[in-house]
Amino acid sequence: MTSIDVQDLTKEYGSKRAVDHLTFSVLPGRVTGFLGPNGAGKSTTMRLVLGLDRPTSGIATVGGRAYATLHEPLREVGALLDAGAAHGSRTARDHLRALAASNRIPERRVDEVLEEAGLASVARRRVKTYSLGMRQRLGIAAALLGDPPVVLLDEPSNGLDPEGIIWIRELMRRLAQEGRTVLVSSHLMNETASFADHLVVLGRGRLLADMPMREFIDARVQPRVRVRTTDDGALSALLASNGIEAVEGEDGRWTALDARVEDIGRLTSAAGLPILELASEEGTLEQAYLDLTATETEFAATPNPTEPQEA
Amino acid sequence: MTDAAAQGLTKADTARAGLAVTFAPVLRSEWIKIRTLRSLLWGLAAVLLATAAFSALAGLDDSGDQDFDPLFSAFFGVSFGQIAAITFGAQAVSAEFQGGALRVSLAAVPDRMRWFAAKAVAIGVPALVVGLVTGGVSLIVGKAVLGTRANGLTWGEGLRAVVGCGIYLMLMALLAAGLAAVLRSGVATLSILIPFLLIVSFVVGGASGNVADFLPDKAGQVALHETWDGALGPWTGLAVTAAWAAAALTTGAWGLRRRDA
Repeated sequence: MTSIDVQDLTKEYGSKRAVDHLTFSVLPGRVTGFLGPNGAGKSTTMRLVLGLDRPTSGIATVGGRAYATLHEPLREVGALLDAGAAHGSRTARDHLRALAASNRIPERRVDEVLEEAGLASVARRRVKTYSLGMRQRLGIAAALLGDPPVVLLDEPSNGLDPEGIIWIRELMRRLAQEGRTVLVSSHLMNETASFADHLVVLGRGRLLADMPMREFIDARVQPRVRVRTTDDGALSALLASNGIEAVEGEDGRWTALDARVEDIGRLTSAAGLPILELASEEGTLEQAYLDLTATETEFAATPNPTEPQEA
Repeated sequence: MTDAAAQGLTKADTARAGLAVTFAPVLRSEWIKIRTLRSLLWGLAAVLLATAAFSALAGLDDSGDQDFDPLFSAFFGVSFGQIAAITFGAQAVSAEFQGGALRVSLAAVPDRMRWFAAKAVAIGVPALVVGLVTGGVSLIVGKAVLGTRANGLTWGEGLRAVVGCGIYLMLMALLAAGLAAVLRSGVATLSILIPFLLIVSFVVGGASGNVADFLPDKAGQVALHETWDGALGPWTGLAVTAAWAAAALTTGAWGLRRRDA
């Protein structure tokens, strides 16, 4: 219902195209990871969704409406863009009070989100005394102020300590479970893998992937099996005779490529090989992402001169 | 006829209710922003202190100048108080152009014109109130210091100067606010306005009866004089200053509307 919809969105700064004909939807009830290297257009897209930058062409809507037409937008969409947005000489509480007042959000909500972000005890301190992690928490508190069904967070784990990273991860999971639409940008893969259900991947302003995270990984990373035995020669011969490619690691472990643990287990058992260790290696988001960007880079290195020019 | 009148009333009511719903919360928000920044409150306090202090000092100097204007002597400190007023106006706006603050503000209030109007009111009203108090204090202090030399001043002239002082300081704060929105920087705004007020206007303004009369400070300060000989009177002079402030605010609003946040 309250999805974020981006349609054929393009943004040019001078001659540089930051966002290039982007079309995707962010649906409620799941955490959507917004991935891409720095400069891929993630932040620009978020600013376009929030009506802060004007698109060169295309549209972005939240719940079917342009952000600029929302009456009290903080009640519809919460966003964290820059951790440094709160004025250093103002207290965290006053910063949130001013924001709350503009959207007629009751003041008790200010104390609630400060509590939720773990800032209650320092709420009356000036923001310039805060660490980057605390500022980040304040920005997240501001995003939650209007109890919005849609939440956009730009690199929320920047500067957070390990405890903070676990907090933000659980917060995002909870927001999605409550049926909210959650879009979280990041350039950290392991980080994103820990909370995202769905992925939207950008590269140089263009959409590279828009699919469930599991599917994204499985489509790009071959499953592997790690196996250790007392008889390396027999194992090697066995795998080779079954057409399974394997490489021997320095520690005596073999890695069977493009194989499943069920197959290897049966084979070795039938051959009577003593097995010391047998484990499947799941593909990681990082591997899948690097595979994707490698093909992209290849593609970028040989630009097609006959590619039609956009008007 | 009656129907139309009734409808007209309803429309006006709706408009008023609409304004209460859409503008009042934004104004409240902007007012919270002003009063929660200590530097801005100090700026307002400095308007009063600088004006009163320099007015008193000017009154002590009884060298018997031929052009002696007892009213302007009492309000002489405005030349210094206005520096504090423009600092207040410029800082209140430039705070939004630091570290992405504007994005947070406009994400909360996407209607940029409404937001900027609220900002201007939140700057203008306190500046006006402080300006009126400053005018009153300057007049009292000035009269006390001038003693018999201020005997010629009428109540009407005094009142006009107090009101003029309030309006003038408000307009200078708004001029700076508008310019800060155009330049997106408080430092840039002040480094244009302060030299302008202290040097250009002082030097160029020496010769009156020319185009210098229409400079924002020269024009508005006519209201603080007992007598004047230029093209502008007290109220026309303030109108010229208002036009400068309006031009700055309009340009600022236009830039805000057009540019990416």
